[in-house]
Amino acid sequence: MKIVGVAACTVGIAHTYIAQEKLEGAAKKAGHEISMETQGTIGTENELSAEQIAEADIVILATDVKLNNRERFDGKRIIEVATDIAVKSPNKLVKKAEEVLAQKQ
Amino acid sequence: MNADSLFHIYFNCDVETKEQTYAFLSEAGCPRAAAGQQKEIIQQLEEREKAGIPLIAEHVLLPHIESEHVEESSILLLSPAEPLRWGETAEDIRLVIAILLRKHEEEAVKQKIARFTRSLADDAFVDELVTTENEADFHQKIRTFQEEL
Repeated sequence: MKIVGVAACTVGIAHTYIAQEKLEGAAKKAGHEISMETQGTIGTENELSAEQIAEADIVILATDVKLNNRERFDGKRIIEVATDIAVKSPNKLVKKAEEVLAQKQ
Repeated sequence: MNADSLFHIYFNCDVETKEQTYAFLSEAGCPRAAAGQQKEIIQQLEEREKAGIPLIAEHVLLPHIESEHVEESSILLLSPAEPLRWGETAEDIRLVIAILLRKHEEEAVKQKIARFTRSLADDAFVDELVTTENEADFHQKIRTFQEEL
């Protein structure tokens, strides 16, 4: 499974980066490809390309704030959660992504 | 830690409640701020918590704010002498990692803080911090991390 996602929290200095790392770790452990963009206090990092988004099977948005360029994901399967969920339960979130994808196929 | 370090460690700290902890962090993180400004920082920490308790792992809290009242950005690691009960929502808190970010901080400082927060995604690293019982060892773990920044 190919996952892309964005992490963005209120202050943009803590949960954003922990959520990114946790989700990347959980997805890789489960054998998936993942690319996570962060929109934090230091700006956007690891910005997703149109190609990465087009190729993704599912999008995980771990956010507590309004995202920049959310329309990039229009038409994609999206799971949207608070950053807190990605920080505390990254494995469950990846599992949920697997289930959503399985249901839609 | 050096006086100019981003990191400040308070081991076996004598705090028992959330209120005492926030008061301590505000004073320790902003020692030159007026009492009114320190109170503002406490209010901002409490306000941030309305969005949810900043629990990032079992026994570990990560309260953080960006504030115009913070003169110098800092990461404060507070290990309470006894596990804390955190209001009505959590108990057995053994480590509080507070980030006080100065408004309009330089990007280089933000990058350093972001590298540290990314390291908190490593459960083994966080567990080491929580379970370290010796103050010198705790300082060494942070010093080692800091050298890698």
